[in-house]
Amino acid sequence: MNPTPQRETRRSEPLSGVGLGLRWEFLDEVLEGPEIGVTFLEVSPENYMRRGGYYPAALEQLKARYALVTHGLTLSLGAVDPPERAYMQDLRREIERLGSAWHSDHLCFTSAGPRKLHELLPLKFSHANVARVADRLKRVEDALGVPMALENISAYASAGRAEMPEHEFICRILEQSSAKLLLDVNNVYVNSRNFDFDPRAFIAALPLERVIEIHVAGHGARESGLLIDTHGSKVCDPVIELLEWTLERTGPVPVLLERDNAIPPLSELLLEVQELERAYRRALGRYEERRAVGA
Amino acid sequence: MQSVLENAMAELLLGPAPERRDTESVAAWLAERGISAEDRAAMLAHGAERLLIYRELVQDTLRDAVLIAIPRSAARLGDRFARDFSRFLHERGSRTRYLREVTGEFLEFCEHEWKEDPRVPPFIADLARHESLCIEIGSLEGGGKPAAESALDLERGVTFIEAARIVEYAYAVHELSESETDQSEPAARATRLFVYRSPEHEVRYLELTPLAAAILKRLLNAKCNLRFALEDACREAGVALDAGVLEGTARVLSDLAERGALLGAAVASREGAS
Repeated sequence: MNPTPQRETRRSEPLSGVGLGLRWEFLDEVLEGPEIGVTFLEVSPENYMRRGGYYPAALEQLKARYALVTHGLTLSLGAVDPPERAYMQDLRREIERLGSAWHSDHLCFTSAGPRKLHELLPLKFSHANVARVADRLKRVEDALGVPMALENISAYASAGRAEMPEHEFICRILEQSSAKLLLDVNNVYVNSRNFDFDPRAFIAALPLERVIEIHVAGHGARESGLLIDTHGSKVCDPVIELLEWTLERTGPVPVLLERDNAIPPLSELLLEVQELERAYRRALGRYEERRAVGA
Repeated sequence: MQSVLENAMAELLLGPAPERRDTESVAAWLAERGISAEDRAAMLAHGAERLLIYRELVQDTLRDAVLIAIPRSAARLGDRFARDFSRFLHERGSRTRYLREVTGEFLEFCEHEWKEDPRVPPFIADLARHESLCIEIGSLEGGGKPAAESALDLERGVTFIEAARIVEYAYAVHELSESETDQSEPAARATRLFVYRSPEHEVRYLELTPLAAAILKRLLNAKCNLRFALEDACREAGVALDAGVLEGTARVLSDLAERGALLGAAVASREGAS
């Protein structure tokens, strides 16, 4: 298997290692403090674009110190209606401003006609949706001027009778587009528990040479046992193990820690980043061993 | 088809709560919205509750976006907030990709009714607007630096930063405590505020006299020159444009310049109202 080559951000710095999703709760601390020891920061452009004031100004300063990668929430790639032209222009400007080497969003729909639902809703794993999302990705890449990466989502219910399994749905979309894959290992784990499948077999079936970034996060559990992708707790051990297993096969892909709820002090998050860094190094050691024996 | 799914999901997530949440009832509900039998079976294969979790997630996200912006208004509205918010979701829903704009959509939907309904405290619309200004003005695009040659001139307009507005309330809601548990009522007093974002990115406001508000409103909104703004505002207020008015206006404009809200004279001269 070919290792995914190290990519460069527009700042011409190689991107690998562990990054952190930038959140307003600790933005001041990152801005005013010393380097926090992450290789990149990921930002949701919708929170910063088409606005003035403190937050865009703060990002402008952070850009000089950290590589920034954009990760969106509202493209609604699977929806019937395409995103509005004005929105795409604003998004392109923001991606250019932040110097992100690629832009990612989710394999889902977040809108229904003019109504914006602000939640990642699953798509039916159908041939029609493969064709529409692949076409949408091409148009979005053209409009944004950077490579697009598609992220697999967590789900709690199906969106209809599947014409193929989820991994095949992802594979076919990638085959029919030039998009990269943002592999969310926690989402695979959550789905594997919610829909009872083997997460390693799922990941092994994906085109890992297309993985441009990996996400990890914590999740919560309902009384029923259903796992919810809350981003509100520490990454659990099984997800770290799955991350290592994946990195062993992808090579040095940048990994991002996401935390959106119950956000602890930055110092605590950075301890978690360090723990992930150790897992990252262990996995890359095994990756090199595998390469040496030609696995 | 994706469009059928989108419409059904939007109604399920934003519409009135289903009367019954058992699998059979939800399946019947989906059938009425055109979801095929095989798709319904897949969607409900793990029980209706798993599908209805999305309703909870969507509504929580949107509600939190509003509550964070207008916590004091929501607390004063009590149960009425929940009812009006549900109605907003059912009848309109959010049309913006930006969560920070959902509050504005909600207020636009409710404001008129709040003002007309005697069961709603009469100052709520003003208070909610005032609370929402913090995010609205705080995130308006545009900064700005004072013009190199910024001396004001009666024959020229005045340039303000883009993140500046004049708001008018029937109640002095800006005097209320910031506490979310405070239930006191504001004085019923016509109030005009110049609201702006400071160079330090803080949202601040300055209470204006009626005449000062009238002059600034013309300068800010009508983009007229200073002479026209003064003459027109004085005419409307029925006061003479005398030395006192000129001195007072100069003081206000100088104060706004010191606060970083006024950038200087407009580049081109403006003749009257545009």
